[in-house]
Amino acid sequence: MDRRHFLQHASASLLLPVFIDGFGAKAFGSPNSAFMQTLLQLATATDRVLVMIQLNGGNDGLNMVVPLDQMSKYTALRTNIALPEAKVLKLTGNLQTGLHPSMTGLQSLYNEGKVSIVHSVSYPTPNFSHFRASDIWFTGADSSQVLTTGWAGRYLDAEWPGYPTGYPTKDVPDPLAIQIGYITSTAFAGPGGPMAVAIPNPDTFAQLVGDKPAIDLAPPPNTPAGQHITYIRQQQLSSVAYASQIKAAAAKGKNLVTYPTGNGLADQLKIVSRLIHGGLQTRVYYVTIGGFDTHASQTSTTDTTTGAHATLLKTLSDAIKVFQDDLRVQGTEDRVAGMTFSEFGRRAISNASYGTDHGVAAPLFVFGKGVKTTVIGKNPNLSDLDNNNIKMQTDFRQVYAALLTDWLGAGKPEVTSVLQKSFDIVPIFQQLITATEPLASALRLYPNPASDRVTLEGDVLLAGVSNLQVVDPSGRVMGVPINRLSDRALAMDVQSLAAGTYVVALQAGDQRFSTRMLVAR
Amino acid sequence: MALTDPYRKPLTGQQAAHLLRRATFGPSPAQIRQFTGLTPQAAVTTLLTTPATPTPPVDPATLKPFNTLAFDTVQATAWQNATKYWWLGLMVNEGPSLREKMVVFWQNHFVSTFGVVADARYMYRQNTVLRSHAVGNFRAFVIDMTKDPAMLRYLNGNQNVVGKPNENYARELQELFTIGVGNYTEDDVKAAARVLTGWTDVGYRSTTSVDISTTFRSAQHDGTDKVFSAAYQNKVIKGRTGTTAGDTELGELVDMILAQPEASRFIVRKLYRWFINSTITADIEQNFIEPLALQFRQGGFEIKPVVTTMLTSQHFFDDALRGAIVKSPLELNVGTLRYFGIKAPDAVTNQSGFAQLMAFVQARNVEQQQNIMDQPTVFGWRPYYDTGFYDLWINSTTLALRGYFTDQLTAGTVKYGVDKLVLDLIALAKLTSDPSDPVKLIDEWSALFFAVDMTQSQRDFLIDNVLISGLPRYEWNLEWQTYMSDPTNKNKQMAVNTKLNTTLQYMFRLAEYQVC
Repeated sequence: MDRRHFLQHASASLLLPVFIDGFGAKAFGSPNSAFMQTLLQLATATDRVLVMIQLNGGNDGLNMVVPLDQMSKYTALRTNIALPEAKVLKLTGNLQTGLHPSMTGLQSLYNEGKVSIVHSVSYPTPNFSHFRASDIWFTGADSSQVLTTGWAGRYLDAEWPGYPTGYPTKDVPDPLAIQIGYITSTAFAGPGGPMAVAIPNPDTFAQLVGDKPAIDLAPPPNTPAGQHITYIRQQQLSSVAYASQIKAAAAKGKNLVTYPTGNGLADQLKIVSRLIHGGLQTRVYYVTIGGFDTHASQTSTTDTTTGAHATLLKTLSDAIKVFQDDLRVQGTEDRVAGMTFSEFGRRAISNASYGTDHGVAAPLFVFGKGVKTTVIGKNPNLSDLDNNNIKMQTDFRQVYAALLTDWLGAGKPEVTSVLQKSFDIVPIFQQLITATEPLASALRLYPNPASDRVTLEGDVLLAGVSNLQVVDPSGRVMGVPINRLSDRALAMDVQSLAAGTYVVALQAGDQRFSTRMLVAR
Repeated sequence: MALTDPYRKPLTGQQAAHLLRRATFGPSPAQIRQFTGLTPQAAVTTLLTTPATPTPPVDPATLKPFNTLAFDTVQATAWQNATKYWWLGLMVNEGPSLREKMVVFWQNHFVSTFGVVADARYMYRQNTVLRSHAVGNFRAFVIDMTKDPAMLRYLNGNQNVVGKPNENYARELQELFTIGVGNYTEDDVKAAARVLTGWTDVGYRSTTSVDISTTFRSAQHDGTDKVFSAAYQNKVIKGRTGTTAGDTELGELVDMILAQPEASRFIVRKLYRWFINSTITADIEQNFIEPLALQFRQGGFEIKPVVTTMLTSQHFFDDALRGAIVKSPLELNVGTLRYFGIKAPDAVTNQSGFAQLMAFVQARNVEQQQNIMDQPTVFGWRPYYDTGFYDLWINSTTLALRGYFTDQLTAGTVKYGVDKLVLDLIALAKLTSDPSDPVKLIDEWSALFFAVDMTQSQRDFLIDNVLISGLPRYEWNLEWQTYMSDPTNKNKQMAVNTKLNTTLQYMFRLAEYQVC
C-alpha cells in the first residue's frame, strides 16, 4: 500500500475524511510528528474490504423496513400483504421504523450500531426493466446513459491501472475483487475486461481448495470428446487465476462460528470471511441472492409474516448476522463493511396476487463496525407517492461515493471521475452531530437566518479547518461552495439550499464545533 | 457397412457444422445453414472448389509486394510479420473452403521456420508451393519441397555435397515427410543423402537480387551408385552425372519410398489426426487407414480423392467423434472470429487496421503455443505428430489465456485501426427461431456453438444461472419484447445485449467450447 492510500484509510478511521483546500494539513504538522507516526503504524491494519450483496429481482423495501409512523396508510396500500404492527421488529432509539419480523439478526446488529438504514435509494428517471435497472446500478450510469464499464471496475482500474494485464505482482498478489458465482457482474467491468475473479460456486470452490464437492458434476459421455472435456475441466479448476493464492488463504483462514445450513447466501459469505481471515488482500467481494421478483405469493394468504419474501429476508438477515459474528470472533470486524442493493424497489401498493410489481426507491443496508450513522434519510412519505411509487431521497451513487471515499479511502477527484460527477457523500461512516452545541464564543456564524452568503469567523480557525459539513434534517450532507477568506474566516454560499434548518459541523485542530443554521427564502 | 463407405444422407445442421469445423478453421452460422441439407458429396465438392490465388503480402513501408523486391535488412522483421499476418488474414477471410486448413496441415508437415530461414521472400515462396500442391499430387509435392529454397536452407540440403554429405534432410524426408521412423535404416539415411547431393538455393537475403531459385550443381553431386537396405528391397539407385542427374535420382528416390505401403499409411494417419481424431485403434487402422492408404497408392498419390473419401465417410459422420478434436489455437482464435463474420481489413487500403487485428490474433496464437511458420521443432506441433496428444494444447496457463482471449472479444476491448472487435449478439440471437424464448435461444445457440450436445441440465443452467440469473424465465421474454418494440433505444438494446454478452462469455469459457 502506498502512502496515499494509507493516509486516506487512516484519516477515514479518524473521522477526518474531508480536507478543505488542504488547510487540514496544518493540523498534522510535520510528517515526522507523533501523530503522523501513529497513522503510519495503522497502515497494514486498515486494509479495508467491501462486501456487496446483490438482491436480484427487485426487493420489496416497504415490507423489509416498515414505516411504523404511517401504519394506517401502509396497511391501506397493501391490505393483503401488510405486516401487523405488533409483529414488526422494533429498533433501539428509532421509534418510527421497524424491520420485517424475520430479520431478528439485522435487528440485533442495528441495535449494536452496526447497521445503517439508507432510506429510499434510487436515481432520477428510474427504469422498471430488471436488466436495464441492474445495469444502471452496476455501471453507475444516469438513467439515459449507456456505460459499458462498472463503477467498481472503474474504481479498481483507477487504483490499479491496467489490471488484470500484468498482474499478479509482488505487491498485488491477490485478485482485486472476487465474486462468488459463475459470472462476474457488470459492476466489475473495467476498461480492459473484468476486474474480478469469479469463483464458480461454493462447490467448485471446495474442489479448488481441496474439500469434497457437495454435488457431483454429471460425467461427460465416454467418447473422445467426453474424455477431453473431463481433462479440460480438471485444468480449468487449477487455472482459475490466482488459484494458489486463494487456496493458500482458504487453507489459512477459518470460520470461527457455526453457519446455518440451507442458507445459500451464508454459504457464500462463509467463503468470504474465510478468505478475509486467511489474509487475502482482495478489496471487494460480491455475492448474490436471487428470487426477489415477487409479483405473486410474496406472503402467505393467511399470515403475512410468512411466505417467499419472509424466507428471503430471513436468509439475508441470518447470513449477514452470522457473517458479522464470524468477523467479530476472527478479529477482522474493523476491516469489513458490506452493503445490500437491489435493482429497484417494488410498488407501495400491492397487487391482487399477494405480490408487488416493479417499483422505484427502496431502502438498503450498509453494515459493519465502521458504521457511524444508523439512519440516512427518513421513512418514505406514503402520502406523497408518484403513481404509487416511493420517491427517491438518496441517489445510489451517493452511497457508492461514501463507500469509495470514507470506506475504501479513494480520493475525491478519483471518486468524481469514477462516478462521472461529484455526489454528496451520505455520512454512513461519518459521525453525525445530531445534538447541537453552541459554537464556542470564539467562533461566530452570521447572518443567521441566512439566504445567500454566510461567514464563519473565529481565532480557533487558525488551527486549521477540516471536515466542514452542512447537514440537512434527514442527515444528508449538502455540498456548498466554501471559500477561505482569511486564516480566521470562511465563507459559505448557501443559495442552493432549500429553506429550512441545517446543522453546520466542523473540526478545527482537535476541537469539534457544530451549530444550527436557518436558511430563509 | 465399411467405415470408409460414403455417408449419403443430407446433412443435418449439426453434421454440416461438424464438417465445416473440421474442414475449415470454423464456420459462421450462415455457412452452417448453407451446408445443411447438402449431401456430404456435394458439400465436400464445394469445399474443394479452388478459390482464387491470393495476392502476395506487401511491404508495410512501400505497400509493394516484397517478393518483387531485393532483401532489405531493415525491413526483414516487418516482412516476416507481414507474411504471417497475410496468411492469418487468408484463414480469417476464407469462405467455406478446405484450402487454408490444408495449407496449414502441409506447413506443419513440411516444416520450415522463420527462426532458421530469415528471409520472408523464401517463406512466402514456400507457402505458394504448399498452396499449389495442397490437394494435388503428393509425389510431385515431395519433389518440389525437396528442392524448395526455404527447405534447402531449413534442413541444410544446400550444404549436402559429394564427399561431405549433410544427412539432415535425407533423414527427415523419411522420418517425418514420407514413411515414418522404423521403416528405414541408418544406411538408408546415408544413401538418400548421397542421392540428394548437389542442390542449393540462390538469392538468400540478397540485397541486390530479386530472384530466388534452386540450382543443381552437378559437380557437387555424388555420381556413384546408392544401395538401399532390405527395407527398400535392396534397391540400387544408379549414380548419374550431368545436369539432369539430380532430378533423375530424386525421382527414383521418391518413387522408391512411396512404393512402400507404409508411406501411404503414414500420410493417411497424419491426415486422420488432423481431420478426425488423435487416437487410432486397431480397428481404425485396419478398416479405415488401410483402405484409404490403398486408395492413395493406387490413385497415384493424388491427395484430393483421399481427402474426399475421408470427409464423406460413414466414419467421419459417426456422432461419437463429434468434438473429438481439442481446438488448436488457430481453431479457437481464428474460428471464433470466423463464427462472427469478422473479416481482416484490406492490407493495402486499411493497412493499420489489418496489421493491428492480425497482430492481435497472432499474439494470441503464439501465447497459446501455435506460431505459424515457427514450429518449435521440425516435428511440427506435437498434437498432430504423435498419436493421442491433442490434450497438449491445454494446460492451466493456456486455458487461462484462451479464456482471456474470449473475454477480450466479449468485452469488445480490442481495437484495430478505426474499428473495434465487437460481436453482434443481437444479430446472432435473431438467427434463432424465437429469440424471445430463452429455451429456444439457448438450445439453438448451444447446437450451433458446441460440437457436443449439451445436456438438459447444462442448458437449464445457462438459462437460469447465466442468461437471466436469479429471475423467472418470463422476464427474458418481457425484456426482449421491450427491446424489439423500440429497437433503436440504446438503453433497451444494452439491457438485452449485456445479458447475451455475459452468456456468451460464459459459453466461451465452458470446456465444451474447447473441442471441435
